[in-house]
Amino acid sequence: MTFSGLTMMTEQALASDDAELADELVLRLRRADPSAVAEVYDAHHAVVRAFAKRLVGDAASAEDLVHEVFVSLPQAVRKFRGDSALRTFLISIAVNHSRHFVRAAQRRRRAISAYGEMKTHESSDPEHEARRKELADLLTRALDTLPIEQRVAFVLCEVEERTSVEAAEIVGAPEATLRTRLFHAKRKLRLALETEGFG
Amino acid sequence: MSKDLLAEATRALRETTPVSEFEARATRARVMTGLHQTRVRRRTRLAFLLPIAASFVAVSAWGAASGRARVVLVELQHWVGDTVNAPTKSAPTNAKASRQLTAPPPTAASAKEPALLVPEPRPEPVLQPPASVASAATPLRALASASAASRAEQDDPALALYRAAHSAHFVAHDPARALAAWDAYLRAAPRGQFAPEARYNRALSLVRLGRNQEARSALEPFANGAYGGYRKSEASALLERLDP
Repeated sequence: MTFSGLTMMTEQALASDDAELADELVLRLRRADPSAVAEVYDAHHAVVRAFAKRLVGDAASAEDLVHEVFVSLPQAVRKFRGDSALRTFLISIAVNHSRHFVRAAQRRRRAISAYGEMKTHESSDPEHEARRKELADLLTRALDTLPIEQRVAFVLCEVEERTSVEAAEIVGAPEATLRTRLFHAKRKLRLALETEGFG
Repeated sequence: MSKDLLAEATRALRETTPVSEFEARATRARVMTGLHQTRVRRRTRLAFLLPIAASFVAVSAWGAASGRARVVLVELQHWVGDTVNAPTKSAPTNAKASRQLTAPPPTAASAKEPALLVPEPRPEPVLQPPASVASAATPLRALASASAASRAEQDDPALALYRAAHSAHFVAHDPARALAAWDAYLRAAPRGQFAPEARYNRALSLVRLGRNQEARSALEPFANGAYGGYRKSEASALLERLDP
């Protein structure tokens, strides 16, 4: 047997072991085993948290969304058929639960804005860093003007740079629909940024 | 320009999402607490519901096996105040019959019975008399009710006997005829669906006829709770009055 053949067999065996481990993990999740949820949290919380923060644009609401995703995981995992990665599945749970949290974050931003308590960047920050943060805040506020579906499409495809196939899988919509949402989202966001006169 | 600005803002948003280790750990603790609470809630629910369900199944099985389920249900109906009809056991004929049963309102005549020392019983299940059938909303509905009643009687001849006894007892107020009719019904259906009612009404007929010794032995099972709480207090009161 050649070395490459041996390597291929070893990789196949490892892949098979991984699949078995994943299946076992899913079974434990379905039994609402807390150690399984903890395992999944440790492995995937950063991705879910990053997505949540980008989507809702508010750290506190994002944490609430992350909490919701993992608490509802044992219930939600009953629908998991293993067609996609568990990480993708977690993002789809976050999308499904996001509506309420996005609204909460929008309300908070509006309140802060109304009371003029929006944090200003310290003068000690480098100019580039200040502009970057300001742009991010501006985009988050512009995202508030979008319908939730367009917002999710933009964050998944543009901010998180996921393929349209993966994003469509996450939101459970056809790829064409997702592209249409993305098109409208970008058009509205450009308009919003121009209106703000940033540049 | 705006396209570049959008791209720049998108990149900025992508890069300004640092993961705080503290927040991550705090949320992890919240998740684990939430899961624990969910498990506790589920266990508590099960701890309450399982014994209740098991008791219900056991009582139902006991009631079905011992034949006391019907008595309990009758008592429950009386307790709730449902005077529509007595529950059926399981036979489809009984189901048909129960649809024909209605409770007549207490009549003035029956309210004037205390001279006999016998309290008029609460409305008993009764087969719809032809008169009320005729007073149905439409002739077609009346015809349908009448034919259904006659079908029910054909299916269970004891129902005809019960109707006759009921009529003699509550309509004609003829205790002698009622006693004979209740005996006839009980001979035909000693364990019929209306047997407890028939036995109690038979005892009332005996009281009205002055056959106190027989009445006493007929009322004692009710007073002793052989039929659960069904007519227990009334039977006890009557027995007290019958005592010399």
